[in-house]
Amino acid sequence: MTGGLRVWRQLNAESRWGLAILLSILALSIFVPLLSPNDPYGFVDLPLQAPSTAFPFGTDHLGRDLLVRVFAAARLDIALAILGVSVPIALGTFIGTLAGTTRNRLAETVWDGLVNALTAFPEIILVLGIVAMVGADIRGLLIAIWISRWAQYARIARAKSLALREAEFVQAAHVLGYSRLRILSRHIMPNVFSEAIAYALSDFIFIIVIIGGLSFLGLGVRPPTPEWGAMLAEGRLYLRTEPWLILCPGFFLSLTAIGVALLARGLERISKGEEA
Amino acid sequence: MLHLLRHPILRRLVQAFFVAFLLMVFAFLLIRLIPGDPAMILLGDTATEADLIAYRKLLGIDGSLLEQFGRYVFNLARGDFGISIRSREPILSIVKKRLPVSLWLTATTIIMTVALALPLGVVAALCRRTWFGHAFQIGASLLVATPVFFSGLVLVLLFAVQTDLAPIAGYRPGFPGNLYSLWLPALTINCVLTPVLARILQSSIIETTDEEFVEAAIIRGTQGWRFYWRYLLRPSLAPTVAALGYFAATVVSYSVIIEIIFNLPGVGMTLVDAVRNRDYPLVQGIVFLSGLLVVSLTFMADLVNGWLDPRAKIR
Repeated sequence: MTGGLRVWRQLNAESRWGLAILLSILALSIFVPLLSPNDPYGFVDLPLQAPSTAFPFGTDHLGRDLLVRVFAAARLDIALAILGVSVPIALGTFIGTLAGTTRNRLAETVWDGLVNALTAFPEIILVLGIVAMVGADIRGLLIAIWISRWAQYARIARAKSLALREAEFVQAAHVLGYSRLRILSRHIMPNVFSEAIAYALSDFIFIIVIIGGLSFLGLGVRPPTPEWGAMLAEGRLYLRTEPWLILCPGFFLSLTAIGVALLARGLERISKGEEA
Repeated sequence: MLHLLRHPILRRLVQAFFVAFLLMVFAFLLIRLIPGDPAMILLGDTATEADLIAYRKLLGIDGSLLEQFGRYVFNLARGDFGISIRSREPILSIVKKRLPVSLWLTATTIIMTVALALPLGVVAALCRRTWFGHAFQIGASLLVATPVFFSGLVLVLLFAVQTDLAPIAGYRPGFPGNLYSLWLPALTINCVLTPVLARILQSSIIETTDEEFVEAAIIRGTQGWRFYWRYLLRPSLAPTVAALGYFAATVVSYSVIIEIIFNLPGVGMTLVDAVRNRDYPLVQGIVFLSGLLVVSLTFMADLVNGWLDPRAKIR
C-alpha cells in the first residue's frame, strides 16, 4: 500500500487523472455485477425504460438492466484488450530483437519490406480480412489482433536492440563467452521491453476501439454477451427515442480510452523529465 | 542499373513496388489461412466431391501452392481479381461500382481535415500559453480517444435526429447533392483526424519559430502574410503533408465503420458484407486493393513532401 502511495506521489496531474479514471472503472466493473441483484443476461423489468432510481441507466430492448450490462461489458472489454496487447508485445519484441541482433544484410532488407507491408494495410481492413478467414467471433478477433499488431513492437524492438548490441555491457557479455540466447534473453530483452510497454499503452486504446468496432459491425463479440461495441449496435436502432441505450455504454467506452490516453501522456512526460 | 537506385525518388519507387509485392503475397496467403477446407466450409458436409472440386477451382485453391500462386499473379497482371462467390460478379467491377462513394467520402474528409486543422494548428501554436492553447490540448486528447462509432452516433443524434441538417442514413449520388449525406460522416472521422493533424502542425510551427531563418526574417523586418506563409507556415508544412499521406490509411480504415453507421454503399460496406457472407475472394480482393491504395498514397505524400521542404530528404 505504501508502495502504491509512493508511486502516486511521483505521478503528474495527467497520469493521476488517467489512473483514477481507470481504477474507478475497474472497481465498478468488479463490484456492480457482483452486488447488483440483476443478471446481465436476464429479463428484469419492462423493456426500454428511461433511467430511474431503480435502473440508473434504464433498461434495454429486451428488458435487461443496462447498468449491470455496461459494467459487465467493461470487464470483458478490458480483459480482451489486455489479452490483445500482451501477445503482440511478447511476439513482436522477440522477433524484433532477433532481427536487430542478426548481422545478415539480406535478412535486414526482407525484414524492412515485411514490416512496411504489414503496417501499410489499413488496420481495420487487415483485421477484418483475417477475421473473415479465421471466424467472426472472440477467438477470431483475438487472432486477428495478434497477427496484425506485432509489427510495431518488432520495429521498436529492432531499433532499440540495434543500439544495444554495441553497448558496453553487451560487448562484455560477449567477451565473457555467454551464449547468444542468454545475451538475448538476459541482457537485451529486458531493456527493449521498457520501450515496448510505453507504446503498449497507446496501442491499448487502439485495440479497445478495434474490439468495440468489430463487435459493433457484428463480427466480434456477439449478443447477448455484454460488450460495449455490440451494445452500441443494438442501441443504435433506438437512437431516436431511447438515446441512453447508446450514451451509457459509449460514455464508459470513451472514458476508458481517455483514461488510458491520459495515463500514457502523463507517463511520457515523466519519462521525458518534464515537470508536472 | 544499380547506380540508378541512388536517386531517392527511384529508390522510394522500388521500395513501394517491393511492399506492393509483399501485400500481394499476404493477400494470397489470406485464403490459405482458413483452418480446414474453404470449399467444405462454404458448401457444408452434404456437398458432393464434384461440387467441392468445382468450388476449389472457383476459389483458386486447386493444385500445388506454387501453381496457385503463379495463376494468382498471372490473373492479377491481367486485372483479374477473381469472382465474388456470392454474386458471381468480377471483383474489380464490384469495387469499381462501390468506389465512387468511398472516394467522395475520403475527399470530403481530407478537405475538411485541412480546412479545420490548418487554422486550428496555427492559432494553437501562436496562442499556446493562453486559455485557448490549454483548451485545445485537453479537447484534442478527449476527441482522439473517443471511438468513431460512438462519436458518429452522438453526431447523428445531434444533427440528424434533433435537427435535419443531415439525413440519418443513406446516400444520394451526384455532386453537390451528395455532400448533404457526406458532411456528417466526414465530420465524424475528423473528430479523430483534425486534432491529430492540428497538433502535428502546432508542434512543427513551434519548432520553426526557433529556427535562425525566422529570426533573420524578423530582423530584416519581414511582416504580414509574407512572413507567416514563407517563414512560418511553409517550412512547417512538411510533417503535416506527410501525416496527411499516412492519414489515407486511417481514413480507409475508419470509413469501414463509418459507412456502416451512415449506411453509405461504399467499398467498406461491401467488405463488411463480404466478411459476413464468407465471400473469401471478395475479402481478399478488397484487402489487397486497399493496401495498394495506401502504398501509392504514401508514396505520393513523400514526393510532395520533398518538394515542400527541401531540407527533408526522401529516405
